[in-house]
Amino acid sequence: MIRFENASVVYPGGVHALKNLTLEIPDGQMMVIVGLSGAGKSTMIRAINGLVRLTEGEVTIDGQSVSKASGRQLREIRSRIGMIFQTFNLVNRTTVLNNVLMGRFHNTSTLRSLMGWYRPEDVEIAMQALERVDIVEKAYTRASNLSGGQQQRVGIARALAQEPKILLADEPVASLDPPTSHVVMRDLQHINRELGITTIVNLHFLDLAKRYGERIIGLRAGELVYDGTADQADENVFRDIYGRSLTADDILEAAIA
Amino acid sequence: MTAVAQARPKPPSGLRRNVALLLAALVVGWAALTIDIRLGAILEVPGGLARIFGLMFLGKGPEWSYLGRAVEAMVESIWIAWIGTVIGAILSLPVGFFGAKNVSSGLISNVVRLFLNAIRAFPEIVLAIAIFIPIAGLGPVAGALAIGIHSIGTLGKLTAEVIEGIDPGPVEATRAVGGRPLQIQRWGVLPQVLPEIVAFWLYRFEINIRAAAVLGVVGAGGIGFVLSQAIAFARYDRAATAILVVVIATIMVDTVSGRVRRRIIEGAEARAVSEVEQPEVLVPSRP
Amino acid sequence: MTAAAPARTSRPVKPRRSMAIPIGLAVFVVITWLALSEQFGIGFDLVALIEDIARGRGILAELLSPNWSFVPRTAEPMIETVQIAILGAVIGCSIALPVSFLASRVTARNRGVLGVTRTVLSVVRAIPDILWALLFVAAVGIGVLPGILALVFFNIGVVVKLLSETIDGVDSGPIEAARASGANGFQSVRWAVLPQVLPNYVAYSLYAFELNIRASTVLGVVGAGGIGNMLFTQYRFFNWSNVSVIVIELFVLVILIELVSIQLRRRLV
Repeated sequence: MIRFENASVVYPGGVHALKNLTLEIPDGQMMVIVGLSGAGKSTMIRAINGLVRLTEGEVTIDGQSVSKASGRQLREIRSRIGMIFQTFNLVNRTTVLNNVLMGRFHNTSTLRSLMGWYRPEDVEIAMQALERVDIVEKAYTRASNLSGGQQQRVGIARALAQEPKILLADEPVASLDPPTSHVVMRDLQHINRELGITTIVNLHFLDLAKRYGERIIGLRAGELVYDGTADQADENVFRDIYGRSLTADDILEAAIA
Repeated sequence: MTAVAQARPKPPSGLRRNVALLLAALVVGWAALTIDIRLGAILEVPGGLARIFGLMFLGKGPEWSYLGRAVEAMVESIWIAWIGTVIGAILSLPVGFFGAKNVSSGLISNVVRLFLNAIRAFPEIVLAIAIFIPIAGLGPVAGALAIGIHSIGTLGKLTAEVIEGIDPGPVEATRAVGGRPLQIQRWGVLPQVLPEIVAFWLYRFEINIRAAAVLGVVGAGGIGFVLSQAIAFARYDRAATAILVVVIATIMVDTVSGRVRRRIIEGAEARAVSEVEQPEVLVPSRP
Repeated sequence: MTAAAPARTSRPVKPRRSMAIPIGLAVFVVITWLALSEQFGIGFDLVALIEDIARGRGILAELLSPNWSFVPRTAEPMIETVQIAILGAVIGCSIALPVSFLASRVTARNRGVLGVTRTVLSVVRAIPDILWALLFVAAVGIGVLPGILALVFFNIGVVVKLLSETIDGVDSGPIEAARASGANGFQSVRWAVLPQVLPNYVAYSLYAFELNIRASTVLGVVGAGGIGNMLFTQYRFFNWSNVSVIVIELFVLVILIELVSIQLRRRLV
């Protein structure tokens, strides 16, 4: 269970990215966060694995504080949280397999990771992760030779290789075209249902949020303004979250529809 | 997710890369094993270094009264480097134009590039020893000439490469308005490349400071002479002074030249950006 | 139509020209004049120079007729020259790789370490290769060892500067991903930073090696091994036809090394 308690983040320069957020996320839930750019979605997600430090309040996972952890403790916590990024963040110059093996870092000694001598069990885990996202045949291909959608699937495989309990996805489909976006979101949904991994996704495409999310929360100017199921969220709800009328940019399939 | 089992690919063979690495390792091994060094000499290195360091900086320390002489020599080295760079810069500009495939003809540019490669192959000391000291005698003029001629080689090559990398658009435009060849170079090519070329000149000046310091060792004036004399007479305190002067002067020149270079490059980029119009983006909103 | 349209806005005022260029040119002229003068500078006299060239014709004639029988005596020092360059490059560039990470603000977390490394680097780079050789000859005696040591320090200066600047410009995305998965600092650097800069490192090392070849030809002048010593002696004895042979050999060597290095670059990157 992930718990936010009065969590606030103020960036130097005075920006209030998160204001007194209090929230509980039970295990195995698929939660989608929606909100305008700058509403605090990225900040909230990064507070869960400590990439962003809280100015006030606390974030705990199963009772263990993230916001107060540091050094080895923090790395330990992070090793159980997988993250995928809008810009994929793969190491372009090396193979897909090497990228996925980064997910095994925490269990690999410094010496082994220096030389690239991963244990066979770790390589097996990496291969299985690649099989789960259907891209294992590219294991030895250079990462930069893949399309956007393929790169994101490698990113998901890297996260899966950590054998995580939680999966964070920060705008995972913002750089992808509509069909590929659906493939990636479907993969995330399957992973959530079959492996029971708590999945938290930032999206700014509202139709995707409704279709793939179990629970939707809305942030506006750092504050929680909506918390409900996907069924309950309709156009009015979204308009409240955004504080303005919806536009074509907010819907993925607007061009096709 | 497919239901069909996927075949796992085989790892690629790193044969070509491994062969290259093996050859490199063999070459290095040959060099290490056949070179004429006493193994004992290697072990004596830390001791020798400590001894020299002690003679230079500990005990009585550097001889400060020698500072005036050292600074005078360093200034001479700076003049040598300056004149050498000026010679190199002025002469390399037209040579660079002739060496650029897109500006001059293919044949001429190839000949010029070959010529530049030939000049570049000789370190400044070799030019000094073989040509300029015999001609101009010992002293700073020979040093300046040696540095100047060598710089034409490097600067000429860099200039030609920059010119070859320009955007052909403005050149086409100056041709379209009926410009004469010199006008085309002056207004179509030069504005695009001048900042980068001037930056190269300054960078070359920084390097030439070091070359000038070195040339003194063979008698072409400057701090190199002072330093080698001090060491030859085992006056390590004076050597310490000379080394300090070299380090401080070089760092100062590097810093000033680096700042000027950055200003020039930034100035050029800022002008380039402001010349591009920013289109407006309109987002239609639903009624 | 030549009739002027009614103006919608008034014409802009011509902006003041920046004073930077005239000032820069003035500074340049002053410095150059000082540098050329007899009193302050080097005393550059073009007329005397041309006279010297005319007088030097005899020497030029000797230089243009190389003494090929001298070649066998140059074989061993030339080989030594190449060896010094190779060993200096291998040792110097190997040390330079980890040091570069300490010199870049992206990978050096500790501000103190960063500052110290960069300062030491500035000092190392401020001392030219031959001056390093002078110092090492004084410290360990003549021979090839001071030459190798001098080139090691020289290479570290060159490669660390270039590589640390490359590391400064690296894409931070993969680093963030590594941190997010719980990797420690060392693992992030090894897998998120190193692959990005490895081709640059190889290119810089080959460049350092090319510089070494040029440098090692003259280190011998101060007694640090290689062909430089023989070159200097022949020059001292005015044996211009021997000098000319050595110079030709140097030229051939440099061209050969450049060709080899182009091939290596293609294979290793």
